Parts: sequence; structure tokens; C-alpha cells
Amino acid sequence: MRYDSITEAIGNTPLVRIDPAVHGLRTIDLYAKLEMLNPFGSVKDRAAWSMAGPLLAEAVEHGSQVVELSSGNTAKALAVIAGMHGLGFKSVTNRMRVPEIKDLLLLLGAEIEELPGQSECLDPTATDDPLTLFHRTLAASGSAYLHTDQYFNPRNTEAHLTGTGPEIVKDLDGRVPDWFVACVGTAGSSTGVARALREEDPSVRVVGLVAAKSDFIPGIRTIDEVQEVGLFDPETYDTMESVTADQAIEGMLTLNRRCGILGGPTGGAAYFGAVRHLRALDAESEERRTAVFIVCDRVESYLSYVRQRRPDLLGRPPRRNSPADLSEAEVGGAPSVTVAEARRWIETDRPLVVDLRSPYAYAALHIDGSVNIVDELFAELVRGGLPFSRRQPVLLACPVGEQSARYGALLTRMGHPDVRSLAGGIIAWRDAGAPLVRD
Amino acid sequence: MDGRPLYLEPRLEPRLRSLVAAHGTLHSIVDALGSPLHVVVPDQIAENLERFRSVYRSHHLSGQVFYAHKANRSSALLRRLAATDAGVDVASLGELQHALGAGFSAGRITATGPKNPEFLWLAARAGVTVSVDAVAELDQLAALVRKHTLAPVRVLLRLSGFESSGVKVLSRRSRFGTPVRELELLLEAVERHADAVDPAGVAFHLDTTSVTEKATALEGSLAALELCRSRGLRPRAVDIGGGFGIGYLAEREQWEAYTTALTAAVLGRRPPLTWGGHGYGLRNESGTLRGTLGLYPAYRSVAGAAYLDELLARPAASLGGRPLAALLLEHLYDLHTEPGRALLDQCGLTLARVLEVRTQEGGGELLVRLAAKADDIALEDHGVLMDPVVVPRGGAGPGDVPVAVHLFGSLCLETDLITRRTVFLPRRPEPGDLLAFANTAGYAMDFHATRAQHQPAAGKVAAWQDGDAWRWCLDDQFWPITPARGAQ
Ligand SMILES: Cc1ncc(COP(=O)(O)O)c(C=O)c1O
Repeated sequence: MRYDSITEAIGNTPLVRIDPAVHGLRTIDLYAKLEMLNPFGSVKDRAAWSMAGPLLAEAVEHGSQVVELSSGNTAKALAVIAGMHGLGFKSVTNRMRVPEIKDLLLLLGAEIEELPGQSECLDPTATDDPLTLFHRTLAASGSAYLHTDQYFNPRNTEAHLTGTGPEIVKDLDGRVPDWFVACVGTAGSSTGVARALREEDPSVRVVGLVAAKSDFIPGIRTIDEVQEVGLFDPETYDTMESVTADQAIEGMLTLNRRCGILGGPTGGAAYFGAVRHLRALDAESEERRTAVFIVCDRVESYLSYVRQRRPDLLGRPPRRNSPADLSEAEVGGAPSVTVAEARRWIETDRPLVVDLRSPYAYAALHIDGSVNIVDELFAELVRGGLPFSRRQPVLLACPVGEQSARYGALLTRMGHPDVRSLAGGIIAWRDAGAPLVRD
Repeated sequence: MDGRPLYLEPRLEPRLRSLVAAHGTLHSIVDALGSPLHVVVPDQIAENLERFRSVYRSHHLSGQVFYAHKANRSSALLRRLAATDAGVDVASLGELQHALGAGFSAGRITATGPKNPEFLWLAARAGVTVSVDAVAELDQLAALVRKHTLAPVRVLLRLSGFESSGVKVLSRRSRFGTPVRELELLLEAVERHADAVDPAGVAFHLDTTSVTEKATALEGSLAALELCRSRGLRPRAVDIGGGFGIGYLAEREQWEAYTTALTAAVLGRRPPLTWGGHGYGLRNESGTLRGTLGLYPAYRSVAGAAYLDELLARPAASLGGRPLAALLLEHLYDLHTEPGRALLDQCGLTLARVLEVRTQEGGGELLVRLAAKADDIALEDHGVLMDPVVVPRGGAGPGDVPVAVHLFGSLCLETDLITRRTVFLPRRPEPGDLLAFANTAGYAMDFHATRAQHQPAAGKVAAWQDGDAWRWCLDDQFWPITPARGAQ
């Protein structure tokens, strides 16, 4: 395979059979369409290229910025495509809740704007919602923007009608699967594929999956949110079912660990939803049938999403020398000094004064002559052993004397003979009228 | 309708639940004072204050909780708070007088909002802290201080238009506050008026449910305070305003089922759920849903003190990713908050007597007319959808079959609907019954009330528990030392 441009590598993704030992269906062959193997990482590469491609020449001529309402994958593909053509890209959204994706977009040179939240007090003078205002701005600006409009643009659907759908049929040796299962975000992939399959064989059953209403699965919508999508038509689906975030992660784990398919939560949701739907139908006949679901994107971008919901999956062995291991008695017994004692002690014995606050707070005001080692860094430092000589007395200070007591107890346990915590912290120091400086 | 009732049952905590269940008491108060009637529960506001305080404590933060008086005119609530260590945020001359008269010393008061000269003078005269909106207001305040040889006034610089780094958070434009990019000009004015004002810190109030926007503003405030310090000032506090919200409904599922059904109704896939098919901001454009649901998110799992907690736990990206609470603490800043609605959570209810229950020809919803105007029960004005609780007059009513009703007010106006929503009640109300609208103390009680058509605006009483019994007095008669006020 030799290409002149990376965009030629979009499409023609593999269709991989899921081992029946994993899904447990007796009569149904289940296949995953690996859209995650598109060059920019997701099913949205097709739509982005289909929508933006034909307009790029003109956009380049006018120096237009590409804009889209997108929380992730479409933005990623468009950011790359725009960048390759020397254009800027801006994503407007309030759904981008996964930090890695935000960072990745910024890295790719995208500009991100978050829409404001709902007003706490209903504002009767508010003329329009932020989205309407966004559309109005675009309309008013003429050719300054190339708006791909993925929720309404028929070229989104078309990319799948002419690409994804026919590829599935070709890889099944000209046969149409009995079921097609897809998550619904813009509805572009599910609608396009469904149309392509039905043109070949109208008996295909299409299952649309949405996120459970109060749940959040990146990339898909809830049953209410899909109603706001121009490409969404309830007639496309034989059934709509919902998947919770936990189920999506469960499905994702199965794909990742047992199938070697490193798909993200949407792929997990599709797998989970497919198996759940098909299990009931598995017994009803002995005939061999096939089902296809889509794995939209890759797991790597969702680690913080997983960490938030299933921290157990990212568990690490306990650490050495951690202040978390101290008993309350040890913390309570940590040597401490009052502000007055500390001031005298500093005069006579010159202890090393360690300020555990953030560098910003330290820079604003601190005890003269102190050093700043922010608590997180300090925790790293002590993991490896005592960071000071045992002959050097140490005074630890934090805002209210709580953290310093913990670290004082820890250093004492680690064998430091003269470490003390400033009781009441920098706040007590200030309240006692002791001097704080700004160098 | 498609059969199943779509209930939106109010969230009732024990105190309000007990009051709603005190049928005899509620009927006798309305018999005495008429319908509509507001009942406030002063002891609850002290409990809510304590919840905010405990969030402060858990982050080791000091600073004041200022009750945003604008949310309710009640004297009883204000006086009950005066007996705690809370502060009060006043937004008018009248509110300032009220607060001083309720027992708040000047040190516990901040003045916010648009200010006329009398308000500014009394604030300066009494020595309350003034949240200054703009350079012009600062000039005006300084001139008053000099002209009347008053002591320097403590001021907070109210800011707006915060910008974030990396990801731009679009914020609704605000009428109030000085845009942060004009902070230098404001500080120049502060320096010019060094004899007349004492800059105690910065403030903001954002009208949004978004924690992200507020986190951006708080982060921006820390940067603004740093700028103050670099110019030799000694700021001590940041005031993050109010807007912590209330969770009005008991059950998430009811809210989700209702909003889904509303969407379907707007798209014509089920019968309307509102008077005249009103869509609460949603509309059907050739089968696609457009517009935005203009409703308060009535089911909120995180509101009030818990919202503050969440905000304080947010990491500040531009300041090394430390949580905002840790940064406030490390910088030795006091945190001020101005909860209005959130402090009034579960602090009261509104009672209205059923005057008429009319069956429509050809069936459909019952038409229920109340002895109250829509502006007396302004839940709808704030987009809060919540069922009233039926407080029957007699014993058991005629059967326990759920009914769908429309609730009308007593004005001679087609628009006087208590709510545009079709309300489902577990049983048919009867004339003489009361409907209790729970949790109306925040903005929904007297913020909008008028005396249109010579109809009375709702009266107000304060109620408290004395053992198992509920006792009450006129709102204005309530003082924290009122006799028989329970176990004081
Ligand atoms: C300055 C200020 N503080 C506090 C509030 C109270 O907000 P809430 O009642 O939502 O807590 C408001 C409301 O508009 C306000 O303008």
C-alpha cells in the first residue's frame, strides 16, 4: 500500500470476527468494523474528509477557518485536515469532558471554545440559546468560516453510504449482515451504513444505541439529544436501546483484553449493546446469521474517563513512605512548635524552613529565608528516602499546620531527629503579626 | 394523554415534610389569613448555613457566608440568620435598612448590585463593605466619603469577563462588574482614592449553573489578587457570589421521564403536556428538535453546599493544577460566598386554596382554579417544574385515582396560569382543599408578587416546630427570641 497523502488511507478498515468463546453466541457470527484504524483514529475521519475535502480549495483561497461543533473525533480529524492545508480549526462545544482529547486538540493546533452553561436564574431577555447565536455568527461572517455542520450535513451520511456500508458487504463476500449495530452521535455512520445495507437487502435489522439519559459516554448522545440532530431519523432504526457508561466500559474491557481490539468506550457500548440484543435472538433459530458493529475509536484518549469511573481498573501497588500510611496517633504525635517558639528557634538554631504550599502562594508571601517544596513534590522526594541531613533541623510549614504535621510525622518515622511542624501554619504566623515577605 | 401520569414530586427534607403533613395547622392558618399564603421555616436557613460552613471547614477556609437577601423579603428568615454568624448581601437601600434593623452589624453586610446615592451613603456611613461595579462607582463612593468626612470604606472590586488559558470558556455577558482586562484602570482609581477606600479583595457573581465557568472566574480572581499584591495592596478576600442552586425534585427518573415526554410532545409523537402545546423553548423544525429547554434543571444531584464543594475541588490549570480551595488557603485568602436560593432550600412553601374543579366537556384535564395569582407562586417564572402536594380539607377524598389538571390563577386574564404544564395529581382535588407548593422560598415567593386587580398579594407567616407541634406567627412578628420558639 503506497499513498501520496495520508487522507488516501481513510476507509477500507478491517472487519474482524469476534471469537465466539468471548461473546458466547451460538448461531450468530459477530464482526467488528474497526473504524478506529482510520489514520486519525476514528470513524469520523470519513465524515470529516467527505465534508471538508471538496471545500478546501476555496477555503484556502479565502483563508477561512474550519469550524465545527464537536467534542472529539470529528474535531481531531478536521484539525489535522485543516492543518495539512494551512487552515486554522476551531471547535465549539460544551461536551468536551475528556481532558486528554482537549489536550490532543490543542496539540494539533485547534482552538477550543466552550459554550456557557445554563443560566441559574431564568432570563426572560435571553433571545436565543448559545447554539443559535453560534449559527447566526457563522451566517453573518460570510466566507470567513468553513462550517462542516456535521449534525446536518448530508455528506456526513454519504461517506458511510458510499464507503463504510459497501465495505461491510464486500468483506462478507457480498452478503448483507442480518443485524447492524451502531452507536448514535451525529447519526451519520449509522444512517449511511443502514441505507447502503438496506439497498442490498431490506431485511437487515438496524439497532441504534444511545447513552442512558443521565449518563455520559463520550461521542454518543442520549435519547433526547439525538432529537436535536438533523441527520437523525427514528425510521432508520428498527430499535433504539440505551447503554450505561459502566456497560460501555465493561464492553470496552472485553474488546481490549480478550479480543486485542484497543477500542474506546463507544466501541465498548456497541459491543455490549450488540451482544445484549443478540443474546435473546440467538436461541430462536439454528440458522447461521451475522451481525456487524462499529468500533469508533481508540482507548488511549479515555484513560481519565476510566480513572474517574473505574479507578479500580488502573490500580497500582501501594507506595513506600507515603503520608497516607500514617496513623492518626502518629500524626497527632508529630513534633510541633507555636509561632512564637518557631521565631525563637529560627533565631537560635537556623532550621531549614520548608514551605509546602504552591509556588504561586509562596511567591506572593512567605517566611523570610524559607525554601519552597510544594507538597506533591515533597511526597515524591521522601519516597526515595530522607531528603535532608539528619544534623539539619527542619521546620515544616503549610497553610494551617495539617499537612506539615503529616510530613513531620513521616520524616520522624523515617529517622529524622529534629523535624517540627509549624502549628497553625502560615495563617497562624500571619495572624500573630509575624513578618511575611515577597522577595 | 397516554395513560401514565408524569409526576414531578418535590424533594422534601424532614422539616418541610413534617410541615406539609400538618394538615390541620395549614388549614387553620389559611382560614385565619386567607389564600394565598407563604409559610417560611426560619430554623431551616440556619441548618443550610451550617452545611455551607461545613464545606468551609473541610477545606480549612475562613471567610463569610453572605445570605443574598434579594431572594426573599422575609423578616423572620433574616432575623433568624442574624442570630447566627452569617452575613447578608444587600442589593438595595431597603434591604440594607432591613438588615441593619434585623441585627446585622455593618461588618457582616456587603452591598452589591446597582446602587443609588442614598444606598451608597448609608453603606459608607454604616461601614459596610461595598462591592464596587466600576470606576465611576468608585469615584462616586470616594467623593461621598470625602464630602461627608466618613471613615474609609472597605471595598471589593467586582470583576467580570474572565478569560481562561488553553480552552476558551465562552461566558454570558454580564451587566455587572469591571472586565478583568480593565483591572489596571480600576486599580489606578483605587490608588487615587487611597484616603477614602480600603481594597479588601475582588468579587464576582456569575449567573450560570456551570462549575467550569465559575472555576475560570475564581482562577481569574486569584490572578487579579496577585496583580493587586504586585502593586503593593494587601487584599484579603475573594467573593464568589451566589448561584449554587437547589435540587427541587425527589427523583431523577421522574425528571428524565418528564423531559423525554416533553421532547416527544414537541415533536408531535405524543399528546401535548402543556397548555396550548407550549414547548418551554423547544420547537419542532421539520421533525428535528430545535431551541433549548428553558427550564431550571429541577433535578440536580449536586446543588447548594455540595456545589460549592465541587467548585472548590476543581484544579486550577494555570496555577499548577492545585485545587482552588488549596490555592485560596495557601494564599491566606478569605472566601466569601453569597448564596441566595441555596440558603433558602427547604425554607418554605406556598399554600393556595382550591376554588373550583371543573370537568371539561368531552373529558381531558380537569380545570382547577386557585385562590392565588401566578405571580404569588412564581415557580414557573423561574422555570421550576414541580408538583404541588394536595392538603385535603376533610378526611379521605373521593377515591385515589390519579388525575391530570391545569392550574389556573384568580386573575381575569387568559395568561394567569399557575403553570403552563399539565400537572398530575395522585387524586382529584376538591374545592376547599389546599395545594402546597413546596420549596418556594428562593425567588418564587414574593420576588414577582403584585396587587393587580385589587387582589391581595400573599401574606407570610413564620413557622417552627415545638416538640411534635407546629407553631406560627406573622412573619414580621418573628424574632429569634419569640416565646415558645421550641427548644431555645
Ligand atoms: C451579587 C449577587 N450575589 C448573590 C446572588 C444570589 O444568587 P443565588 O440566589 O442564585 O444564590 C445574586 C443573584 O442574582 C447576585 O446578583
